[in-house]
Amino acid sequence: MRIIQLSLLLLTAACSQETPAPLVASDVVITRPLPGMTMSAGYLSLSNNSDATIRITRVTSAQFESVQLHETTIENGVSRMRAIAALEIPAGETLTLQRGGKHLMLMRPTMSSETVSLRFLDGDNPVLTVDANFESGVE
Amino acid sequence: MSPKNVFVAILMAVALAMGIFLGVRTQAPEEPLAAFVLPAPTPLPEFALVDQSGNTVTRDTFRGRWSLVFFGFTHCPDICPTTLQILATAQEELAESARSPLPRIVLVSVDPERDTPELMGRYLDYFGDGHLGITGSLDELKKLTTALGIFFEKQPGTDENYSVDHSAAVLVINPAAEFHALFSGSHKADNFVHDLPLILASY
Repeated sequence: MRIIQLSLLLLTAACSQETPAPLVASDVVITRPLPGMTMSAGYLSLSNNSDATIRITRVTSAQFESVQLHETTIENGVSRMRAIAALEIPAGETLTLQRGGKHLMLMRPTMSSETVSLRFLDGDNPVLTVDANFESGVE
Repeated sequence: MSPKNVFVAILMAVALAMGIFLGVRTQAPEEPLAAFVLPAPTPLPEFALVDQSGNTVTRDTFRGRWSLVFFGFTHCPDICPTTLQILATAQEELAESARSPLPRIVLVSVDPERDTPELMGRYLDYFGDGHLGITGSLDELKKLTTALGIFFEKQPGTDENYSVDHSAAVLVINPAAEFHALFSGSHKADNFVHDLPLILASY
């Protein structure tokens, strides 16, 4: 009886320990389009808890007609913004999308909304959904 | 040594230490952390552009006050608002510490095709009052950028969705309408708060 009790206890403990999702988002900041603008930016950290590289090739959102993966670089004093084909997060690592670096460009809002939902996909395979509130603007 | 002599000795040691401290301070005046001050300021060229209210902007517009000039465009969701916010934050911090005169923040559009005066006005209002937005014809814009060594280049894309590469520098223009100093990217508000009073004081 005592052994069964102990086994049950261990089983409960094992079940309550949640397995981390393969890809976890944190520090999500989605800016509102500035006055007169139809575009804004998204920043977040993506942590890969799996043992394989995770690729994000596109992002969709119900609140925006288009979401693009972009990167700003400053080389030789010149600021450039380019579309990038994919975000790659190696196993066990965190990729940070931040101001002046890799970021999401959100284009043409489809509705007035306080929140934004982002679907991260590898081709047609959904990888992660992130829901966030809009931040009031740039900080 | 009597207690009185010990006291005198301590006083002398303290005075010596303070003397050395003050001496070191006066020997090494503070230098700008990030700004490059031109050995000889360069007068702005002749040009005719417009501000966000449609008023003509020329070299003379820059006379009489300090300006922080940034080149960018409104259809730029990442680096341009970030830089403008850094400049606005620096300006607020300088105002709080009663440092005057406060430089005016100026955005010169490198995308005059899309950046109408009206759009520039709505965009700049978001970052506070009193900022100057400059746009106009491409030819007149190039007179200004060429003279200042500012690069910009429109990239391929659709009408609505194209980017413009541009110099990331923030230029300091003095009240004589001369290019006086330069902050090259990446920008930090602290650098402006530290360097601008030094630049203005040495003018």
